[in-house]
Amino acid sequence: MTTPLVLLPGEEVPSDHLPPTKNNNPLKLGPGLRLLSQPSTSAAAGHVLTATQAGLLTTDAKRNTVSLLSFSNRRYLPTTNDLIIAQIHHSSADYFHCMVTPHTAHALLGQLSFEGATKKTRPMLKQGELVYARVLSVGIGAGAEVELTCVNPATGKAEPGGLGPLVGGMVFDVSTGMAARLIRASSASPDQTDAVEGLVVLSELDKKLESVGGFEIAVGRNGKVWVDCSNAGDSAIQATVAIGRCLQQTDEGNLSTSEQKKLVSRILREMKIG
Amino acid sequence: MSKEAPLSVAERDFILDALHQNVRLDGRGLDQFRPLSVSFGNEYGHVKLRLGKTSLVVRISAEVTKPRDDRPFDGLFNIALELSAMGSPAWENGRSNDLEAYVSHILDRVIRHSNALDTESLCIIQGVSCWNIRADVHVLDFDGNLTDAACIGVMAGLQHFRRPDAVVKDGQVVVYGVEERVPVALNITQKPLSTTFHSFDEGKTVILDATRKEEQASEGELVIGINNAGDVCFLSKFAGDPIDALFVVNKSNVAQEKVKEINAMVDKVLQADLARRAKKGMAEEAQAENDREVSPNDPFV
Repeated sequence: MTTPLVLLPGEEVPSDHLPPTKNNNPLKLGPGLRLLSQPSTSAAAGHVLTATQAGLLTTDAKRNTVSLLSFSNRRYLPTTNDLIIAQIHHSSADYFHCMVTPHTAHALLGQLSFEGATKKTRPMLKQGELVYARVLSVGIGAGAEVELTCVNPATGKAEPGGLGPLVGGMVFDVSTGMAARLIRASSASPDQTDAVEGLVVLSELDKKLESVGGFEIAVGRNGKVWVDCSNAGDSAIQATVAIGRCLQQTDEGNLSTSEQKKLVSRILREMKIG
Repeated sequence: MSKEAPLSVAERDFILDALHQNVRLDGRGLDQFRPLSVSFGNEYGHVKLRLGKTSLVVRISAEVTKPRDDRPFDGLFNIALELSAMGSPAWENGRSNDLEAYVSHILDRVIRHSNALDTESLCIIQGVSCWNIRADVHVLDFDGNLTDAACIGVMAGLQHFRRPDAVVKDGQVVVYGVEERVPVALNITQKPLSTTFHSFDEGKTVILDATRKEEQASEGELVIGINNAGDVCFLSKFAGDPIDALFVVNKSNVAQEKVKEINAMVDKVLQADLARRAKKGMAEEAQAENDREVSPNDPFV
Protein backbone atom coordinates (compact mmCIF):
# COMPACT_ATOMS: atom_id res chain seq x y z
CA MET A 1 0.00 0.00 0.00
CA THR A 2 1.26 3.49 -0.80
CA THR A 3 1.92 6.01 1.91
CA PRO A 4 -1.16 7.85 3.14
CA LEU A 5 -1.79 11.09 1.32
CA VAL A 6 -3.58 13.97 2.98
CA LEU A 7 -5.28 16.36 0.60
CA LEU A 8 -6.53 19.86 1.28
CA PRO A 9 -9.54 21.38 -0.50
CA GLY A 10 -8.58 22.40 -4.02
CA GLU A 11 -5.55 20.15 -4.27
CA GLU A 12 -5.23 17.84 -7.22
CA VAL A 13 -4.99 14.12 -6.76
CA PRO A 14 -1.60 12.98 -8.10
CA SER A 15 -2.16 10.52 -10.91
CA ASP A 16 0.28 7.98 -9.46
CA HIS A 17 -2.03 7.57 -6.49
CA LEU A 18 -4.96 6.51 -8.65
CA PRO A 19 -5.59 2.84 -9.33
CA PRO A 20 -4.66 1.75 -12.88
CA THR A 21 -7.54 2.61 -15.17
CA LYS A 22 -9.23 -0.05 -17.24
CA ASN A 23 -11.21 0.91 -20.26
CA ASN A 24 -14.26 -1.17 -19.53
CA ASN A 25 -14.36 -0.27 -15.85
CA PRO A 26 -14.45 3.46 -15.19
CA LEU A 27 -13.04 4.85 -11.97
CA LYS A 28 -15.68 5.52 -9.34
CA LEU A 29 -15.41 8.66 -7.26
CA GLY A 30 -16.36 8.71 -3.61
CA PRO A 31 -17.35 11.70 -1.50
CA GLY A 32 -14.99 14.64 -1.25
CA LEU A 33 -13.60 14.37 -4.78
CA ARG A 34 -14.63 16.12 -7.92
CA LEU A 35 -13.80 15.66 -11.58
CA LEU A 36 -12.93 19.11 -12.80
CA SER A 37 -11.92 18.55 -16.39
CA GLN A 38 -10.95 15.78 -18.70
CA PRO A 39 -8.01 16.83 -20.86
CA SER A 40 -8.22 15.01 -24.16
CA THR A 41 -4.58 15.47 -25.14
CA SER A 42 -2.61 14.18 -22.21
CA ALA A 43 -2.49 10.45 -22.44
CA ALA A 44 -1.04 9.53 -19.06
CA ALA A 45 -3.29 11.53 -16.77
CA GLY A 46 -6.83 10.72 -17.85
CA HIS A 47 -8.54 12.87 -15.28
CA VAL A 48 -7.91 15.89 -13.15
CA LEU A 49 -9.42 15.18 -9.76
CA THR A 50 -9.50 17.74 -7.02
CA ALA A 51 -10.43 17.40 -3.39
CA THR A 52 -13.40 19.44 -2.19
CA GLN A 53 -12.64 18.88 1.48
CA ALA A 54 -9.65 17.97 3.59
CA GLY A 55 -9.08 14.28 4.05
CA LEU A 56 -7.05 11.16 3.59
CA LEU A 57 -6.97 9.80 0.04
CA THR A 58 -7.97 6.15 -0.06
CA THR A 59 -8.11 3.91 -3.07
CA ASP A 60 -9.54 0.46 -3.59
CA ALA A 61 -8.00 -1.25 -6.60
CA LYS A 62 -10.40 -4.19 -6.48
CA ARG A 63 -13.52 -2.09 -6.79
CA ASN A 64 -11.72 0.59 -8.78
CA THR A 65 -12.82 3.38 -6.47
CA VAL A 66 -11.06 6.36 -5.08
CA SER A 67 -12.44 8.40 -2.22
CA LEU A 68 -11.48 10.89 0.39
CA LEU A 69 -11.72 9.83 4.02
CA SER A 70 -12.76 13.03 5.72
CA PHE A 71 -12.08 13.81 9.32
CA SER A 72 -14.58 14.07 12.12
CA ASN A 73 -17.09 16.54 10.94
CA ARG A 74 -20.64 17.42 11.88
CA ARG A 75 -21.79 18.73 8.53
CA TYR A 76 -22.99 16.29 5.96
CA LEU A 77 -23.25 17.05 2.26
CA PRO A 78 -25.10 14.38 0.29
CA THR A 79 -23.04 12.60 -2.35
CA THR A 80 -24.41 10.15 -4.90
CA ASN A 81 -24.35 6.53 -3.73
CA ASP A 82 -23.99 7.36 -0.05
CA LEU A 83 -25.99 5.17 2.28
CA ILE A 84 -27.87 7.34 4.72
CA ILE A 85 -30.49 7.10 7.44
CA ALA A 86 -33.31 9.52 6.72
CA GLN A 87 -36.34 10.46 8.75
CA ILE A 88 -39.72 10.84 7.07
CA HIS A 89 -41.04 14.36 7.49
CA HIS A 90 -44.25 14.12 5.53
CA SER A 91 -45.54 12.33 2.51
CA SER A 92 -47.13 13.61 -0.67
CA ALA A 93 -48.77 11.88 -3.63
CA ASP A 94 -45.59 10.56 -5.21
CA TYR A 95 -42.86 11.17 -2.68
CA PHE A 96 -41.88 10.86 0.93
CA HIS A 97 -40.18 14.06 2.05
CA CYS A 98 -37.27 13.04 4.24
CA MET A 99 -34.93 14.81 6.62
CA VAL A 100 -31.36 13.76 5.97
CA THR A 101 -29.93 16.34 8.34
CA PRO A 102 -32.08 18.59 10.51
CA HIS A 103 -32.79 22.13 9.29
CA THR A 104 -31.85 21.52 5.67
CA ALA A 105 -34.05 21.13 2.65
CA HIS A 106 -35.92 17.84 2.49
CA ALA A 107 -34.78 14.99 0.29
CA LEU A 108 -37.26 13.15 -1.90
CA LEU A 109 -37.85 9.42 -1.69
CA GLY A 110 -40.23 7.99 -4.25
CA GLN A 111 -43.26 6.17 -2.85
CA LEU A 112 -42.44 3.26 -5.15
CA SER A 113 -38.67 3.14 -4.70
CA PHE A 114 -38.78 0.19 -2.33
CA GLU A 115 -38.10 -3.44 -3.02
CA GLY A 116 -41.19 -5.05 -4.52
CA ALA A 117 -43.28 -1.90 -4.13
CA THR A 118 -46.29 -1.42 -6.32
CA LYS A 119 -49.15 1.06 -6.06
CA LYS A 120 -50.91 -1.39 -3.71
CA THR A 121 -48.02 -2.82 -1.73
CA ARG A 122 -45.93 0.27 -1.13
CA PRO A 123 -44.91 0.91 2.49
CA MET A 124 -47.10 3.39 4.35
CA LEU A 125 -44.49 5.38 6.25
CA LYS A 126 -45.62 7.93 8.76
CA GLN A 127 -43.94 11.06 10.03
CA GLY A 128 -40.90 10.33 12.15
CA GLU A 129 -40.22 6.85 10.80
CA LEU A 130 -36.76 6.00 9.58
CA VAL A 131 -35.51 4.58 6.29
CA TYR A 132 -32.12 3.31 5.26
CA ALA A 133 -31.66 4.68 1.77
CA ARG A 134 -29.13 5.39 -0.93
CA VAL A 135 -28.59 8.82 -2.43
CA LEU A 136 -29.69 8.51 -6.03
CA SER A 137 -28.87 12.02 -7.21
CA VAL A 138 -27.97 15.29 -5.64
CA GLY A 139 -28.86 17.69 -8.42
CA ILE A 140 -26.84 20.70 -9.46
CA GLY A 141 -27.09 24.33 -8.53
CA ALA A 142 -29.22 26.22 -6.06
CA GLY A 143 -32.54 24.68 -5.11
CA ALA A 144 -31.51 21.29 -6.40
CA GLU A 145 -33.33 18.44 -4.76
CA VAL A 146 -31.63 15.41 -3.32
CA GLU A 147 -33.30 12.19 -4.38
CA LEU A 148 -33.11 8.98 -2.38
CA THR A 149 -33.96 5.41 -3.22
CA CYS A 150 -34.23 2.15 -1.33
CA VAL A 151 -33.96 -0.03 -4.40
CA ASN A 152 -31.56 -0.57 -7.26
CA PRO A 153 -33.56 0.60 -10.29
CA ALA A 154 -31.74 -1.88 -12.55
CA THR A 155 -32.51 -5.04 -10.57
CA GLY A 156 -35.53 -4.05 -8.52
CA LYS A 157 -33.82 -5.45 -5.43
CA ALA A 158 -32.78 -3.62 -2.29
CA GLU A 159 -29.08 -3.43 -3.04
CA PRO A 160 -26.93 -3.38 -1.02
CA GLY A 161 -29.06 -5.41 1.36
CA GLY A 162 -30.94 -3.88 4.21
CA LEU A 163 -32.24 -0.79 2.45
CA GLY A 164 -35.77 0.10 3.39
CA PRO A 165 -37.72 1.11 6.50
CA LEU A 166 -35.94 0.68 9.84
CA VAL A 167 -38.30 -0.55 12.52
CA GLY A 168 -37.60 -0.34 16.24
CA GLY A 169 -34.09 0.09 17.54
CA MET A 170 -32.45 3.39 18.28
CA VAL A 171 -30.51 6.00 16.34
CA PHE A 172 -27.30 7.51 17.69
CA ASP A 173 -25.59 10.58 16.33
CA VAL A 174 -21.90 10.35 15.48
CA SER A 175 -19.64 12.54 13.37
CA THR A 176 -19.66 11.99 9.62
CA GLY A 177 -16.00 10.97 9.76
CA MET A 178 -16.83 8.26 12.28
CA ALA A 179 -19.73 7.06 10.11
CA ALA A 180 -17.38 6.79 7.11
CA ARG A 181 -14.87 4.84 9.19
CA LEU A 182 -17.59 2.46 10.40
CA ILE A 183 -18.72 1.80 6.85
CA ARG A 184 -15.17 1.11 5.74
CA ALA A 185 -14.53 -1.11 8.75
CA SER A 186 -17.58 -3.23 7.99
CA SER A 187 -16.78 -3.62 4.29
CA ALA A 188 -13.06 -4.22 4.72
CA SER A 189 -11.64 -7.71 4.32
CA PRO A 190 -9.64 -9.10 7.29
CA ASP A 191 -6.27 -8.43 5.65
CA GLN A 192 -7.22 -4.79 5.32
CA THR A 193 -7.77 -4.12 9.00
CA ASP A 194 -4.88 -1.68 9.30
CA ALA A 195 -6.40 0.43 6.57
CA VAL A 196 -9.44 1.21 8.70
CA GLU A 197 -7.25 2.93 11.27
CA GLY A 198 -7.72 0.44 14.02
CA LEU A 199 -11.45 0.77 14.44
CA VAL A 200 -12.13 -2.34 16.50
CA VAL A 201 -15.04 -1.12 18.59
CA LEU A 202 -17.65 -2.89 16.47
CA SER A 203 -15.88 -6.25 16.20
CA GLU A 204 -15.16 -6.11 19.94
CA LEU A 205 -18.84 -5.44 20.68
CA ASP A 206 -19.78 -8.21 18.29
CA LYS A 207 -17.64 -10.72 20.21
CA LYS A 208 -18.90 -9.63 23.61
CA LEU A 209 -22.57 -9.36 22.70
CA GLU A 210 -22.81 -12.62 20.78
CA SER A 211 -23.86 -14.46 23.94
CA VAL A 212 -26.84 -12.16 24.53
CA GLY A 213 -28.13 -12.48 20.98
CA GLY A 214 -26.01 -10.14 18.90
CA PHE A 215 -27.17 -6.91 17.33
CA GLU A 216 -28.14 -5.34 14.05
CA ILE A 217 -26.57 -2.12 12.88
CA ALA A 218 -27.02 0.28 9.98
CA VAL A 219 -24.59 3.13 9.45
CA GLY A 220 -25.68 6.24 7.61
CA ARG A 221 -23.10 8.54 6.09
CA ASN A 222 -25.08 11.47 7.44
CA GLY A 223 -23.69 10.72 10.90
CA LYS A 224 -26.42 8.43 12.15
CA VAL A 225 -26.08 4.88 13.38
CA TRP A 226 -29.14 2.71 13.85
CA VAL A 227 -28.75 -0.10 16.37
CA ASP A 228 -31.21 -2.86 17.16
CA CYS A 229 -30.75 -5.57 19.77
CA SER A 230 -34.25 -7.02 19.73
CA ASN A 231 -32.79 -10.55 19.96
CA ALA A 232 -31.19 -9.74 23.27
CA GLY A 233 -34.44 -10.21 25.22
CA ASP A 234 -34.40 -8.53 28.63
CA SER A 235 -31.07 -6.81 28.19
CA ALA A 236 -31.98 -5.36 24.78
CA ILE A 237 -32.13 -1.79 26.04
CA GLN A 238 -28.92 -2.04 28.04
CA ALA A 239 -27.10 -3.56 25.07
CA THR A 240 -28.36 -0.86 22.69
CA VAL A 241 -27.36 1.94 25.05
CA ALA A 242 -23.98 0.29 25.54
CA ILE A 243 -23.35 0.15 21.78
CA GLY A 244 -24.39 3.76 21.36
CA ARG A 245 -22.15 4.95 24.17
CA CYS A 246 -19.19 2.95 22.88
CA LEU A 247 -19.57 4.44 19.40
CA GLN A 248 -20.03 7.99 20.62
CA GLN A 249 -17.12 7.87 23.04
CA THR A 250 -14.81 6.28 20.48
CA ASP A 251 -15.79 9.10 18.16
CA GLU A 252 -15.40 11.95 20.65
CA GLY A 253 -12.24 10.67 22.29
CA ASN A 254 -10.60 9.49 19.04
CA LEU A 255 -9.59 6.34 20.91
CA SER A 256 -6.81 3.98 19.97
CA THR A 257 -7.31 0.24 19.51
CA SER A 258 -6.47 -0.73 23.07
CA GLU A 259 -8.51 2.15 24.48
CA GLN A 260 -11.50 0.98 22.44
CA LYS A 261 -11.21 -2.52 23.88
CA LYS A 262 -10.98 -1.13 27.40
CA LEU A 263 -13.95 1.15 26.76
CA VAL A 264 -16.10 -1.71 25.52
CA SER A 265 -15.42 -3.88 28.56
CA ARG A 266 -15.89 -0.98 30.94
CA ILE A 267 -19.22 0.10 29.46
CA LEU A 268 -20.55 -3.44 29.23
CA ARG A 269 -19.63 -3.91 32.88
CA GLU A 270 -21.35 -0.65 33.80
CA MET A 271 -24.49 -1.65 31.93
CA LYS A 272 -24.31 -5.14 33.50
CA ILE A 273 -24.25 -7.18 30.31
CA GLY A 274 -22.20 -10.17 29.29
CA MET B 1 -37.58 26.67 10.35
CA SER B 2 -37.08 27.99 13.83
CA LYS B 3 -38.38 24.82 15.40
CA GLU B 4 -36.26 22.05 16.82
CA ALA B 5 -36.12 19.05 14.49
CA PRO B 6 -38.65 16.48 15.70
CA LEU B 7 -37.48 13.20 17.17
CA SER B 8 -37.97 10.09 15.11
CA VAL B 9 -40.46 7.51 16.29
CA ALA B 10 -37.66 5.04 17.05
CA GLU B 11 -35.78 7.53 19.21
CA ARG B 12 -38.83 8.58 21.18
CA ASP B 13 -39.94 5.00 21.81
CA PHE B 14 -36.48 3.91 22.80
CA ILE B 15 -35.90 6.80 25.20
CA LEU B 16 -39.24 6.07 26.87
CA ASP B 17 -38.62 2.30 27.03
CA ALA B 18 -35.15 2.83 28.44
CA LEU B 19 -36.36 5.27 31.07
CA HIS B 20 -39.02 2.73 32.00
CA GLN B 21 -36.10 0.55 33.09
CA ASN B 22 -34.31 3.55 34.64
CA VAL B 23 -31.67 3.57 31.90
CA ARG B 24 -30.53 6.82 30.29
CA LEU B 25 -28.86 7.10 26.93
CA ASP B 26 -25.58 8.35 28.36
CA GLY B 27 -25.61 5.84 31.21
CA ARG B 28 -26.26 8.46 33.88
CA GLY B 29 -28.41 7.94 36.95
CA LEU B 30 -31.83 9.60 36.93
CA ASP B 31 -30.77 12.23 39.47
CA GLN B 32 -27.37 12.92 38.01
CA PHE B 33 -26.07 16.01 36.25
CA ARG B 34 -23.81 15.79 33.23
CA PRO B 35 -20.18 16.72 33.84
CA LEU B 36 -20.08 20.44 34.60
CA SER B 37 -17.05 22.56 33.91
CA VAL B 38 -16.78 26.24 34.81
CA SER B 39 -13.82 28.41 33.96
CA PHE B 40 -13.14 32.13 34.09
CA GLY B 41 -11.62 34.34 31.44
CA ASN B 42 -9.03 37.04 31.88
CA GLU B 43 -11.50 39.74 32.78
CA TYR B 44 -13.74 39.82 35.81
CA GLY B 45 -17.19 38.38 35.22
CA HIS B 46 -16.31 36.37 32.12
CA VAL B 47 -17.51 32.80 32.62
CA LYS B 48 -17.23 29.85 30.28
CA LEU B 49 -19.50 27.00 31.21
CA ARG B 50 -20.06 23.54 29.81
CA LEU B 51 -22.75 21.18 30.98
CA GLY B 52 -22.33 18.04 28.90
CA LYS B 53 -22.59 19.36 25.36
CA THR B 54 -24.50 22.49 26.31
CA SER B 55 -22.02 25.31 26.46
CA LEU B 56 -22.32 29.02 27.04
CA VAL B 57 -20.41 32.18 27.87
CA VAL B 58 -21.61 34.75 30.40
CA ARG B 59 -20.29 38.29 30.55
CA ILE B 60 -21.11 40.62 33.41
CA SER B 61 -20.62 44.33 32.81
CA ALA B 62 -21.26 47.48 34.78
CA GLU B 63 -21.92 51.10 33.92
CA VAL B 64 -23.09 54.17 35.79
CA THR B 65 -26.61 55.31 34.99
CA LYS B 66 -29.53 57.15 36.51
CA PRO B 67 -31.75 55.02 38.78
CA ARG B 68 -35.41 54.56 38.02
CA ASP B 69 -37.62 57.36 39.30
CA ASP B 70 -39.81 55.06 41.36
CA ARG B 71 -36.80 53.35 43.00
CA PRO B 72 -34.21 56.05 43.70
CA PHE B 73 -32.24 53.85 46.15
CA ASP B 74 -31.88 50.88 43.83
CA GLY B 75 -29.32 50.10 41.20
CA LEU B 76 -30.27 48.29 38.00
CA PHE B 77 -29.67 44.67 37.18
CA ASN B 78 -30.62 42.97 33.92
CA ILE B 79 -30.08 39.56 32.45
CA ALA B 80 -29.98 39.44 28.66
CA LEU B 81 -30.27 36.11 26.94
CA GLU B 82 -30.44 35.86 23.20
CA LEU B 83 -30.46 32.62 21.29
CA SER B 84 -28.47 33.16 18.12
CA ALA B 85 -27.86 30.79 15.24
CA MET B 86 -24.46 30.07 16.79
CA GLY B 87 -26.05 27.87 19.43
CA SER B 88 -28.24 25.64 17.31
CA PRO B 89 -29.33 25.53 13.68
CA ALA B 90 -32.89 25.59 14.97
CA TRP B 91 -32.54 29.20 16.12
CA GLU B 92 -32.61 32.23 13.92
CA ASN B 93 -30.75 35.45 14.53
CA GLY B 94 -32.89 38.36 15.60
CA ARG B 95 -36.03 36.33 16.04
CA SER B 96 -37.04 35.37 19.54
CA ASN B 97 -38.48 31.95 20.13
CA ASP B 98 -40.39 30.29 22.94
CA LEU B 99 -37.32 28.82 24.56
CA GLU B 100 -35.67 32.21 24.78
CA ALA B 101 -38.68 33.79 26.47
CA TYR B 102 -39.01 30.81 28.78
CA VAL B 103 -35.38 30.71 29.91
CA SER B 104 -35.22 34.50 30.29
CA HIS B 105 -38.30 34.39 32.46
CA ILE B 106 -36.85 31.71 34.73
CA LEU B 107 -33.49 33.48 35.03
CA ASP B 108 -35.33 36.67 35.93
CA ARG B 109 -37.37 34.98 38.57
CA VAL B 110 -34.64 32.84 40.09
CA ILE B 111 -31.80 35.36 40.15
CA ARG B 112 -33.27 38.85 39.82
CA HIS B 113 -36.51 38.59 41.76
CA SER B 114 -34.96 36.52 44.53
CA ASN B 115 -32.68 39.50 45.20
CA ALA B 116 -29.60 37.32 44.92
CA LEU B 117 -27.78 40.51 43.93
CA ASP B 118 -28.45 43.24 46.46
CA THR B 119 -29.44 46.08 44.13
CA GLU B 120 -29.52 48.66 46.94
CA SER B 121 -25.76 48.33 47.25
CA LEU B 122 -25.46 49.52 43.66
CA CYS B 123 -26.76 52.99 44.49
CA ILE B 124 -24.15 55.77 44.32
CA ILE B 125 -26.15 58.98 44.79
CA GLN B 126 -29.81 58.68 45.63
CA GLY B 127 -31.96 59.39 42.60
CA VAL B 128 -28.99 60.64 40.56
CA SER B 129 -26.60 57.84 39.76
CA CYS B 130 -26.28 54.14 40.33
CA TRP B 131 -24.61 51.10 38.82
CA ASN B 132 -26.31 49.20 36.07
CA ILE B 133 -25.18 45.58 36.14
CA ARG B 134 -25.85 43.62 33.01
CA ALA B 135 -25.41 39.88 32.51
CA ASP B 136 -25.18 38.72 28.91
CA VAL B 137 -25.66 35.04 28.22
CA HIS B 138 -24.34 33.72 24.90
CA VAL B 139 -25.27 30.16 24.04
CA LEU B 140 -22.55 28.44 22.04
CA ASP B 141 -23.96 24.95 21.85
CA PHE B 142 -27.29 23.54 22.90
CA ASP B 143 -27.96 20.05 24.13
CA GLY B 144 -30.77 20.52 26.60
CA ASN B 145 -31.15 22.05 30.05
CA LEU B 146 -30.29 25.57 29.04
CA THR B 147 -32.11 26.94 32.10
CA ASP B 148 -29.88 25.36 34.71
CA ALA B 149 -26.71 25.97 32.74
CA ALA B 150 -27.53 29.66 32.25
CA CYS B 151 -28.47 29.99 35.92
CA ILE B 152 -25.17 28.51 37.10
CA GLY B 153 -23.29 30.69 34.60
CA VAL B 154 -24.93 33.96 35.67
CA MET B 155 -24.50 33.23 39.38
CA ALA B 156 -20.84 32.28 38.87
CA GLY B 157 -20.35 35.48 36.86
CA LEU B 158 -21.93 37.67 39.53
CA GLN B 159 -19.67 36.15 42.17
CA HIS B 160 -16.61 36.59 40.01
CA PHE B 161 -17.34 40.10 38.79
CA ARG B 162 -15.59 43.14 40.29
CA ARG B 163 -16.98 46.57 39.52
CA PRO B 164 -14.74 49.66 39.49
CA ASP B 165 -14.67 51.59 42.74
CA ALA B 166 -16.70 54.81 42.75
CA VAL B 167 -16.78 57.54 45.36
CA VAL B 168 -18.70 60.78 45.71
CA LYS B 169 -16.52 63.89 45.95
CA ASP B 170 -18.27 67.26 46.37
CA GLY B 171 -21.44 65.90 44.85
CA GLN B 172 -19.51 64.50 41.87
CA VAL B 173 -19.15 60.80 41.18
CA VAL B 174 -15.56 59.72 40.61
CA VAL B 175 -15.08 56.27 39.11
CA TYR B 176 -11.60 54.84 39.60
CA GLY B 177 -10.11 52.57 36.99
CA VAL B 178 -9.29 48.97 37.77
CA GLU B 179 -5.59 49.88 37.94
CA GLU B 180 -6.09 52.84 40.27
CA ARG B 181 -8.10 51.17 42.99
CA VAL B 182 -8.91 47.59 43.87
CA PRO B 183 -12.25 46.86 42.18
CA VAL B 184 -15.20 45.95 44.38
CA ALA B 185 -17.03 42.64 44.49
CA LEU B 186 -20.80 42.67 44.13
CA ASN B 187 -22.94 42.11 47.19
CA ILE B 188 -24.42 38.63 46.76
CA THR B 189 -27.02 37.86 49.40
CA GLN B 190 -27.71 34.24 48.48
CA LYS B 191 -26.92 31.78 45.73
CA PRO B 192 -30.11 30.37 44.27
CA LEU B 193 -29.93 28.03 41.30
CA SER B 194 -32.62 26.44 39.21
CA THR B 195 -32.95 22.70 38.81
CA THR B 196 -35.12 21.33 36.04
CA PHE B 197 -36.85 17.97 36.30
CA HIS B 198 -38.49 16.21 33.39
CA SER B 199 -41.23 13.69 33.98
CA PHE B 200 -42.05 10.58 31.94
CA ASP B 201 -44.50 7.73 32.28
CA GLU B 202 -47.27 9.84 33.85
CA GLY B 203 -44.88 11.21 36.44
CA LYS B 204 -43.53 7.83 37.56
CA THR B 205 -40.06 8.45 36.17
CA VAL B 206 -38.41 11.79 36.75
CA ILE B 207 -34.98 12.81 35.54
CA LEU B 208 -32.66 15.70 36.22
CA ASP B 209 -30.63 17.60 33.62
CA ALA B 210 -32.29 16.22 30.49
CA THR B 211 -30.46 16.30 27.17
CA ARG B 212 -32.13 17.81 24.11
CA LYS B 213 -33.53 14.47 23.01
CA GLU B 214 -34.82 13.65 26.47
CA GLU B 215 -36.42 17.08 26.69
CA GLN B 216 -38.21 16.47 23.41
CA ALA B 217 -39.53 13.10 24.56
CA SER B 218 -40.63 14.28 28.00
CA GLU B 219 -44.22 14.68 29.11
CA GLY B 220 -43.79 17.51 31.54
CA GLU B 221 -41.28 19.54 33.44
CA LEU B 222 -40.87 21.09 36.82
CA VAL B 223 -38.42 23.87 37.64
CA ILE B 224 -37.38 24.49 41.22
CA GLY B 225 -35.25 27.50 42.12
CA ILE B 226 -33.67 26.90 45.49
CA ASN B 227 -30.66 28.12 47.45
CA ASN B 228 -28.16 26.42 49.74
CA ALA B 229 -30.33 26.91 52.82
CA GLY B 230 -33.28 25.25 51.12
CA ASP B 231 -35.36 28.40 50.57
CA VAL B 232 -37.44 27.86 47.47
CA CYS B 233 -37.47 31.11 45.51
CA PHE B 234 -39.15 29.81 42.38
CA LEU B 235 -41.35 26.91 41.50
CA SER B 236 -42.96 26.39 38.14
CA LYS B 237 -44.89 23.78 36.33
CA PHE B 238 -45.83 25.55 33.12
CA ALA B 239 -47.16 22.70 31.04
CA GLY B 240 -47.27 18.98 30.57
CA ASP B 241 -48.70 16.13 32.59
CA PRO B 242 -49.85 16.71 36.16
CA ILE B 243 -47.54 15.60 38.96
CA ASP B 244 -48.09 14.66 42.56
CA ALA B 245 -47.75 17.36 45.25
CA LEU B 246 -45.69 15.03 47.43
CA PHE B 247 -43.32 14.62 44.55
CA VAL B 248 -42.62 18.35 44.54
CA VAL B 249 -41.64 18.16 48.20
CA ASN B 250 -39.37 15.18 47.60
CA LYS B 251 -37.74 16.70 44.59
CA SER B 252 -37.05 20.00 46.29
CA ASN B 253 -34.82 18.03 48.68
CA VAL B 254 -33.00 16.52 45.71
CA ALA B 255 -32.75 19.99 44.18
CA GLN B 256 -31.25 21.42 47.36
CA GLU B 257 -28.60 18.70 47.43
CA LYS B 258 -27.70 19.39 43.81
CA VAL B 259 -27.59 23.15 44.32
CA LYS B 260 -25.26 22.69 47.31
CA GLU B 261 -23.02 20.45 45.23
CA ILE B 262 -22.89 22.85 42.29
CA ASN B 263 -22.38 25.93 44.47
CA ALA B 264 -19.50 24.17 46.24
CA MET B 265 -17.94 23.28 42.91
CA VAL B 266 -18.31 26.84 41.57
CA ASP B 267 -16.87 28.20 44.83
CA LYS B 268 -13.82 26.00 44.47
CA VAL B 269 -13.13 27.17 40.92
CA LEU B 270 -13.76 30.77 41.96
CA GLN B 271 -11.34 30.62 44.90
CA ALA B 272 -8.69 28.99 42.72
CA ASP B 273 -9.11 31.73 40.11
CA LEU B 274 -8.96 34.54 42.67
CA ALA B 275 -5.88 33.01 44.30
CA ARG B 276 -4.22 32.83 40.89
CA ARG B 277 -5.06 36.48 40.22
CA ALA B 278 -3.78 37.59 43.63
CA LYS B 279 -0.50 35.79 43.06
CA LYS B 280 -0.13 37.21 39.58
CA GLY B 281 -0.98 40.71 40.83
CA MET B 282 1.70 40.54 43.53
CA ALA B 283 4.28 39.18 41.13
CA GLU B 284 3.60 42.09 38.79
CA GLU B 285 3.97 44.64 41.56
CA ALA B 286 7.20 43.07 42.78
CA GLN B 287 8.68 43.38 39.32
CA ALA B 288 10.88 46.45 38.85
CA GLU B 289 11.06 46.15 35.08
CA ASN B 290 8.54 47.82 32.88
CA ASP B 291 6.76 45.87 30.20
CA ARG B 292 8.40 46.62 26.93
CA GLU B 293 7.57 45.64 23.48
CA VAL B 294 10.39 43.67 21.89
CA SER B 295 10.24 43.78 18.16
CA PRO B 296 11.91 40.96 16.25
CA ASN B 297 13.80 43.51 14.12
CA ASP B 298 15.44 45.06 17.14
CA PRO B 299 19.22 44.91 16.50
CA PHE B 300 19.99 44.67 20.22
CA VAL B 301 18.03 41.48 20.85
